[in-house]
Amino acid sequence: MAQPLLGNSGALSILAGAQTGVSEEDARILRGLRAGIEDAYEELIARYEQPVYGLVYRLLGSQPDACDVVQEVFLKVFRAVNSFRGQSSLRTWIYRIAINEAHNHRRWFVRHCRHEVSFESDHEERGHSLEYALDPGRSPFDQALDNENRTLIERALTRINPVFRTAVVLRDIQNLSYEEIAEILQVSLGTVKSRILRGREALRRELTQQPGAGLAEAMA
Amino acid sequence: MTCWSVKRKSTDYVDGRLRAREQARIEAHLRKCETCECSIDQLRTVRSSLNALSDPLPPTSLQTRLRVVASRERKLLYETNGSRLLRVWNSWKFRLNQIMRPLTIPATGGVLSSILLFGALAFTISTTTRQVGYEVPVIYADHMDANLVPTELRSSVVLTLSLDGKGRITDYAFHDDTGSFVGNVSRLQYNNIALPQFPSVLGLARPTTRDISISFIPMVFRP
Repeated sequence: MAQPLLGNSGALSILAGAQTGVSEEDARILRGLRAGIEDAYEELIARYEQPVYGLVYRLLGSQPDACDVVQEVFLKVFRAVNSFRGQSSLRTWIYRIAINEAHNHRRWFVRHCRHEVSFESDHEERGHSLEYALDPGRSPFDQALDNENRTLIERALTRINPVFRTAVVLRDIQNLSYEEIAEILQVSLGTVKSRILRGREALRRELTQQPGAGLAEAMA
Repeated sequence: MTCWSVKRKSTDYVDGRLRAREQARIEAHLRKCETCECSIDQLRTVRSSLNALSDPLPPTSLQTRLRVVASRERKLLYETNGSRLLRVWNSWKFRLNQIMRPLTIPATGGVLSSILLFGALAFTISTTTRQVGYEVPVIYADHMDANLVPTELRSSVVLTLSLDGKGRITDYAFHDDTGSFVGNVSRLQYNNIALPQFPSVLGLARPTTRDISISFIPMVFRP
């Protein structure tokens, strides 16, 4: 195991013990990050790369943009780890950073690249073929239907209001509780419910308007 | 229970967050209202479809990028020993280097060029200065004393000047339709009309020693 670069981990353990929102495992990772232990960095990346990427990708709808934002998120986490006081869980904190970075990126994109037109209209044509975790128990037909439904839903997600999209993604895709979502977004519980309701309603309207097999027909 | 109430509680109902009593009331309404039942069914479909979405896998290059970031931050943490001030200073020093690096070569070239050019021109700067003021005191209606031609221009005038080779007038005379006039050089306020006394101009032009004639034709501007 790599040796810590800094010798103040003893003092930091007292601080970790005083934190109320952080689990023991998260506290251990935080101690390692503050001490500069390589294993702590590796563990943080291994634990949060996939969920943060999934969250950001659903918010932005673009793989290259999601990769850039995820890199920024982890950079901010590494730099701000000393200022994290443990009032929330580590996951809540990281997700909050991820959502803010995704929103900033989208605002920058709208401001600077709104008038640019891409020749490619599909992810595959751009050479960024997306990979998804496959269920080995599904038949090829079901997998094809899943692909089609996924395309319909992802397209519908990009069309609804980003504020509602965030709430729906956190609830229905990331499976976070209402309380966690309220903590991440720093809004009230009522606001979370309202955003989820309006997000689902907007998705329902989008999906019932889209022609095609599978999900859209099921909704009709 | 009204349709509006059902819609307002649809999120909690679909997520199973309602108390049993409230849930029963909604279900009783749904049995009577097809519109609300259809709406709730569609919301359930949306929710279950979102739940069933498989996770997008990040590209393998992303993990490499994150590791590079982690390595750089660990190095920075080691160099600054956790000091926030040192960290901020290093961060600004890095940004300044990034900005100045592409400007280094053109900036150096610009400075050297300026030094060479200034050095070459420094020898041409004259230490003596000469005040030069001149105008062509030929025909001014309201400056009659300075006029070479003390008359208002009513007809064509031919002015003959004798120059001494340094741009000064030694003698002058003019004639028009009414007669002729010989001037008094000593009365002229300015008699250097041929060439200004700039060394660079004198270097380009040659002063002449001879008589020159200038014709003036009056122009009448009608409003």
